[in-house]
Amino acid sequence: MRNFNKIVIVGLVLLAMSCKKEKFSEFGVDEQLIQDEKTSKIKNKSEAEYISILYTNLYQKPISPNQLFKTQNVLVSIGDRNVANEMLLSNYFNTGLVQIPSNTDMRSNIDSFVENSYKKFFLRYPSEAEKLFFKNYIGNNAKVSVEMVFTAMSVSNEYQYY
Amino acid sequence: MRRKEFLQKAGLSIAGGVTLPYILPSGRLFARGGVPKAEHVVLVMFAGGVRQQESISQRYLEDSQGVSGAAGNVMFNLFDGPAPTKKIVYGTDPSGGGTAGSVPIPQLLNTTLESQGTVFREVAAQSAGHYTGQTVLVTGNRSTAQGLKVRPSFPTIFEYLRRHAGFSAADCWMISSSLTNSYNLLNSSDHPDYGLQYGANMFVPGIVFGSYGREILGNSKTYSQEELDPMYFMKNFLDKSFGLGQDKVNTITNTDADKTRIKEFIKYIYAKQKAGQIASPPVGSGDAFNISYGAEVLKYFKPKILTVNLTGVDTCHSNFTGYLRNLHRADHATGWLWNYIQTQIPEMANNTIMLVAPECGRNLNPNPILDQNDWYAFDHSDRNAQRVWSMMVGKNVPRGLSVGNEANPVGRLTDIVPTIADIFGVWDDVKNAGLVDPMGKSMFDQV
Repeated sequence: MRNFNKIVIVGLVLLAMSCKKEKFSEFGVDEQLIQDEKTSKIKNKSEAEYISILYTNLYQKPISPNQLFKTQNVLVSIGDRNVANEMLLSNYFNTGLVQIPSNTDMRSNIDSFVENSYKKFFLRYPSEAEKLFFKNYIGNNAKVSVEMVFTAMSVSNEYQYY
Repeated sequence: MRRKEFLQKAGLSIAGGVTLPYILPSGRLFARGGVPKAEHVVLVMFAGGVRQQESISQRYLEDSQGVSGAAGNVMFNLFDGPAPTKKIVYGTDPSGGGTAGSVPIPQLLNTTLESQGTVFREVAAQSAGHYTGQTVLVTGNRSTAQGLKVRPSFPTIFEYLRRHAGFSAADCWMISSSLTNSYNLLNSSDHPDYGLQYGANMFVPGIVFGSYGREILGNSKTYSQEELDPMYFMKNFLDKSFGLGQDKVNTITNTDADKTRIKEFIKYIYAKQKAGQIASPPVGSGDAFNISYGAEVLKYFKPKILTVNLTGVDTCHSNFTGYLRNLHRADHATGWLWNYIQTQIPEMANNTIMLVAPECGRNLNPNPILDQNDWYAFDHSDRNAQRVWSMMVGKNVPRGLSVGNEANPVGRLTDIVPTIADIFGVWDDVKNAGLVDPMGKSMFDQV
């Protein structure tokens, strides 16, 4: 009987020291992607890729093969690709057929405009610093138009890469 | 500050400003004071494959087709010598009927370029092909392993000048005949120490100023500086944010101001075309077209260096008559360009050196193809295709000098880059880079 009591006591002690239910702690922090998405863009778009993506971004429809061929030839016939791209863009904007938000829309919600523009042109979300830059720059400069922002993005180095 | 102290400091500042070196894009210090032989250089790549026999040797149909008594000069503006008198087919067609090509284009220059400058009569070409030959002309390297559809492996003269002489992109221009044969890639190499960051501006006039260009770019807006500034400001922010490395640069780069000038130039040309005011040689041809847009670039930008390539004579693969016609027209266009510089661009007149050289010759023996006159055509692949000539004319070039002959060849096509570098006072820098043909020399050192 004495041994039985000892066994019961040791058993109870072991039971008390055995597995406990794990406490679940939550700190209220959302998971974040910490990779810089810019760094994954290492391949230069070909002229054909650049033109067809740009055309689709601006007109919301694909470019015809014939038009793509002509545009491609023109772009590689000018030494400074930035000059060629800027002229091509201003030509597109001058057609009046590009599908872009109005300046009023942009100014009514700059945050949303910046985020959507980054998604459209760079296929990523802007960083906080980028958001802040555009918010301040557009907000403080009444002459900045959607066309100007789209032109800057379309001729930027990042847009040439994927 | 006391008077003595002021004078000392002022004197030191002035002396320093005059004598101290300044930093070039290469990052090295380059002592000021080297006097260039001329302020501008134009290189005419008289390309397409030019046989010695019909050009400088003035044999016309005698050597090529065995027509006796049919020797003579068909390049009136480049070389001295009487024109052929027999079987004239290289000129323009007579009005009112008659033999096609029987009216030679009148000589444009009062004095031939041969008499105005220095001719190297027998020069070694390093290649018998077009792209490699033109690559040799702009790199000064033998370029034996040069492939098509890729930029030259060795730096071009544009990169040397931009890096070592401090020229801007807008100072350096290349006019390319077409997108074929990779000619449009000759404005920069892909060499890791040079490359696109030092490349030249380039146009393919047949496309940029042709129907495609007018359709794609002709309706572009002309933004005011007030509109451009925010666009470039935002672009610069985005580019800094992206942080593209120099090894990833995919275009030559002009300053914002020069970009605007180039855009204005393109629109200016469209307007001139509409008004029928493009300057051009009296008798047109594909080569004349290219030369005329080269002249427009010269007049507008007054660049330090411009190269223009011609290709019309390559019709010789299948049509010897067409070859003679195009040779005659290429001479006409080259003479016109020199005259245009001297008479229409005061800033460049008497202050320019023009170099002219084919990129390769053509074969000694013909292929079996006969043309409309039953004359045999010629390809370019044998030893004769590596025989060419070269010439230079303009400021500080000895006049009326003839160097070398068939029995005593002097010079190589890899001399062109050393010569241009020498004209601008940077030949030592180029040589020390160790990327040009070790046998290449300035033509000025061979006269």
